[in-house]
Amino acid sequence: MRLIIRDDATSVGEYIGNYIAKRINDFKPTSDRPFVLGLPTGSSPIPTYKHLIKLVKAGKLSFKHVVTFNMDEYVQLPQDHPESYHTFMFREFFSHVDIPPSQVHILNGNAKDLIGECRAYEATIKSFGGIELFLGGIGEDGHIAFNEPGSSLVSRTRIKTLAYDTILANARFFDGDIAKVPRMALTVGVGTVLDSREVVVVVTGQRKALALSHAIEHGVNHLWTLSALQQHPWALIVADEDATAELKVKTVKYFKSIERVQEEVEAMHARLKDDPSEPEQVGSME
Amino acid sequence: MSSPNGLICFTNCLLPTEDGSLVEKDLWIDERRGVVLDAQKTFFKRRQRPDRVIDLGGNILSPGYLDIQINGAYGFDFSVYEGDPEAYRNGIKHVAEKIVETGVTSLIPTIITQEKSLYPTLLNLLRPYSSPTSATMLGWHAEGPFIQMAKRGAHAPQFLLPATNGFVSFEEVYGPENLAVQEDWLMACEPQSDHVGIRIITAAPEIVGVSAAMEEATKRGVVFSIGHSIASTDIATAAAIGGARLITHLFNAMPQLHHRDPSIIGLLGASPHLSALLTPTSAPTSPVGTTFPSFGNSHKRVDSGSSLAKRIMAAHGDGGAKATSEAFDDLVTPPMTPVLAPIDTDLGLKKGEVAKMSFERPFYEMIVDGIHSHPNSVRLAYSAYPEGCILITDAMKILDPNLKDGIHEWRDGKRFVKEGDKLYLEGTDTLAGSVVTLEKCVRNFSRFTGCSLGEAIKCATYNPAKCLGIENKKGTLRPGADADLIVLDRKGYVQSTWVKGREVYMRKPSQ
Repeated sequence: MRLIIRDDATSVGEYIGNYIAKRINDFKPTSDRPFVLGLPTGSSPIPTYKHLIKLVKAGKLSFKHVVTFNMDEYVQLPQDHPESYHTFMFREFFSHVDIPPSQVHILNGNAKDLIGECRAYEATIKSFGGIELFLGGIGEDGHIAFNEPGSSLVSRTRIKTLAYDTILANARFFDGDIAKVPRMALTVGVGTVLDSREVVVVVTGQRKALALSHAIEHGVNHLWTLSALQQHPWALIVADEDATAELKVKTVKYFKSIERVQEEVEAMHARLKDDPSEPEQVGSME
Repeated sequence: MSSPNGLICFTNCLLPTEDGSLVEKDLWIDERRGVVLDAQKTFFKRRQRPDRVIDLGGNILSPGYLDIQINGAYGFDFSVYEGDPEAYRNGIKHVAEKIVETGVTSLIPTIITQEKSLYPTLLNLLRPYSSPTSATMLGWHAEGPFIQMAKRGAHAPQFLLPATNGFVSFEEVYGPENLAVQEDWLMACEPQSDHVGIRIITAAPEIVGVSAAMEEATKRGVVFSIGHSIASTDIATAAAIGGARLITHLFNAMPQLHHRDPSIIGLLGASPHLSALLTPTSAPTSPVGTTFPSFGNSHKRVDSGSSLAKRIMAAHGDGGAKATSEAFDDLVTPPMTPVLAPIDTDLGLKKGEVAKMSFERPFYEMIVDGIHSHPNSVRLAYSAYPEGCILITDAMKILDPNLKDGIHEWRDGKRFVKEGDKLYLEGTDTLAGSVVTLEKCVRNFSRFTGCSLGEAIKCATYNPAKCLGIENKKGTLRPGADADLIVLDRKGYVQSTWVKGREVYMRKPSQ
C-alpha cells in the first residue's frame, strides 16, 4: 500500500485526477477494450471530479471508452431526489464529461427485486472483465462504500442497513431530519472492491483522521472496513495533512520517504525506457 | 446547424432560476420537440446525451421575455384595422418576426379603446399565433373601453363605455365568442399543439357594471387587470378579492399614492390586518364592525363616496387630456384613514413569518423606461411586493430599436413625437405609451432597484408567466417548458434568441 500526503483537499483532488487520467491514457481504451472504473459519491471525491472535468474540457482526457460502476445507492429514494447518488453523479460528474450514458452503471435502489439487482450488478462487472481501478472514499467510521463497521470483509454487492452514525451524518442532507434519511442502501461489498485490480482511496479532513489511522496503522478489522485494503496488492491512499492528525510521526515519515524513492525509481525507469540500448524494463516497485 | 440526435446542451452559462438567482448550470433542450429537457432523466432513462454542445462563454441563458402589454411595433399598430384581415395578419407576423431581436419570445398584443364595432373583428384576428421563426402571440389584451374618463390617457374619450348590463355589455362589445369559456375559446382557435392562450381586459372597477362583468369573465378564464381607474382603496380591494390578478401600468392612469386612501397602488401593500377581516361573503356585514373597507355598498358610504366624487371632479375639472402632470391631479386629501375595531387575534412570534392574507395581492405592470415612473417609484413598488412585479413595454407601433427620433404618424390624424425613449402626443405633453424595448427595461430595472440581473429577468419571464398561469410552458426553464430562450451578455444585452428550440435571431458581430 502507498500513502500520498498533500497539503489540502484541492491538491489531493488534483493528484488523484492526474493519476486516474494517466492510468486511463496509458491503458489506451477502445470500444472493445474499455477502461472499467469504479466511482464513489460524497464530498471527498468532489475535488477529484472537478479536476477530471477540467482535464476533459482541456482535451487531455476522454471518457468515451470508459465504463463506470458506482459503489452504492439508497434504497427507495427516487432517482431524481436531490440526494440520490444518481443525482449526485449526474450533477457533479457525468453531465460535464463525454461519457456515453450507456456506459454508466449505478445500482437501482428502486428495483422490485433488490437481491436480483445486486446479483446482476456483480455479473455485469464480471462481463466487463472486472474493475480496473476503484476510486473510493471513507466514512468517519472507516467504512468504504456502505460497508459499515462489522461488514464481512469478503462481502459482495448486497442490501445493507445503514449504521446509526451514517444516518446521523447524512441527516444534514435531508432537512436535518433523521426520519427522512433512507435506512437501507445497495452497495458493492468489500470483496467487490478488493477484486478490482487497483484501489485508490481519497481521505481528506480531520474528521477522517481516526479512520485513516485504523485503516493503516492497526490490523485488518471488520470494524474499520477500509483496513481490508492492507491485503490488496495495488492500493493507494491519498490524504491531506488534516487527515493525518491521528497518524504516528513515524508512519507519516515512512510513507513520505516511499513517495520520494518511488519518484526516483520512476524517473530512472523513464530514462531507461528512453534508452534504446537497454533491454525493456518489466514490473514496478510494488 | 442542427444536432444529429436532436439534443442540444448549452454549457458554460448562467441560468436564471424561479427565485431570481443565477446559477452556473447546463441546460439541455430537444430541438425537434422544442422543449427544455430534464437532463438527468434524459441521461439515465433515455440513455442519451446531446450531440451538440454550445459553449456560451459565461453568458446568461434566460427564458425568452414575455411582454404582456404592447400596442404595436415596427410600424404596425395592433389597434389599427383597415378592413383587410390579410394585411392585419401580415402586420402581426411582421411584429412577431422582428421583435425577437429585443429578447421577446411571447407577447400579448394590446388594443387601446376602439370604436365599439371593431372589437369582435380585432379580437378574432388576435387569437393565439405561433410560427417556428417568430415570437408567439399569446392572445390579446383589451385596454378599454370600460375605463375611467378621468384617467383615459391617450384613449379616445368618445369611445369609453359603462358596462350598464354587466357581462352582457362586455359581450356586446368584445363579442360573445371572444369571451367564451377558456376551453371553448382555445378549441375555436387555430389548431395548435400547446393550447396556451391568454385574454386580458384592463377595466376600471368603479365603472358601472364592471365588477359584475369581470366576475363572470374571470370565471371564463379572462384575466382582469385594474387600470385607467380612480378606484378608491375599498373598490380596488374588492376588485382584487373578486379575482383581479393584475394592475395595468402601475402609477400611470390611476390616483397617486395617498397615505389615507392609497387606492390601487396601495394594493401592493395590502395589509394582513385588513385582509383578515375580508372575505367576499362576510365583508358587507362585517361582524367586527369595521367602517372600512366595505364592499358592494361602498359607493353609498359618505366618506369614501365623497372622496371618489371629489376625485372625479378634480380630475375632470382641468380637462383630463390637458393635464400637465398626472402627479398633481389628485389633490383631495381624504379626511382620515378608516376607523378600525380592535382585533384580538394572536400576534406572530416568529421573525420573518408574515401573517396570512385572505386574498392574493395582484401582480402589477411597470413600464421601466425611466419616464413613465421615477426610479424611486419603481424601487418603492418592487420593495413592497417583488413577487408581483411584471415589466412591460406598453410600446407603440414605432417601437423599433433602429428608429430615429422625430415626429411619426399614429392614427386618426394624430402624430407622435419620439424623443429617445419618450413618446408624446404631438402638441401635448401627454405620454402616449412608450418606445422602450423590454431588454432595456430589464437593464433599467436592475439599475433602478439595485436588484441583481437575475431578479430583473424574473420580472420579465417567470412573474408574467405566473400571473397568466402559464409558468409550466413559458417564462421558465422547467423541464417540459417551451425552449424559448435568449442569450444575454452579463450586461443584459440580447446576443441571440431561440424559439421552440431553434435559433431565430443572432446579434450581428458588428453591432
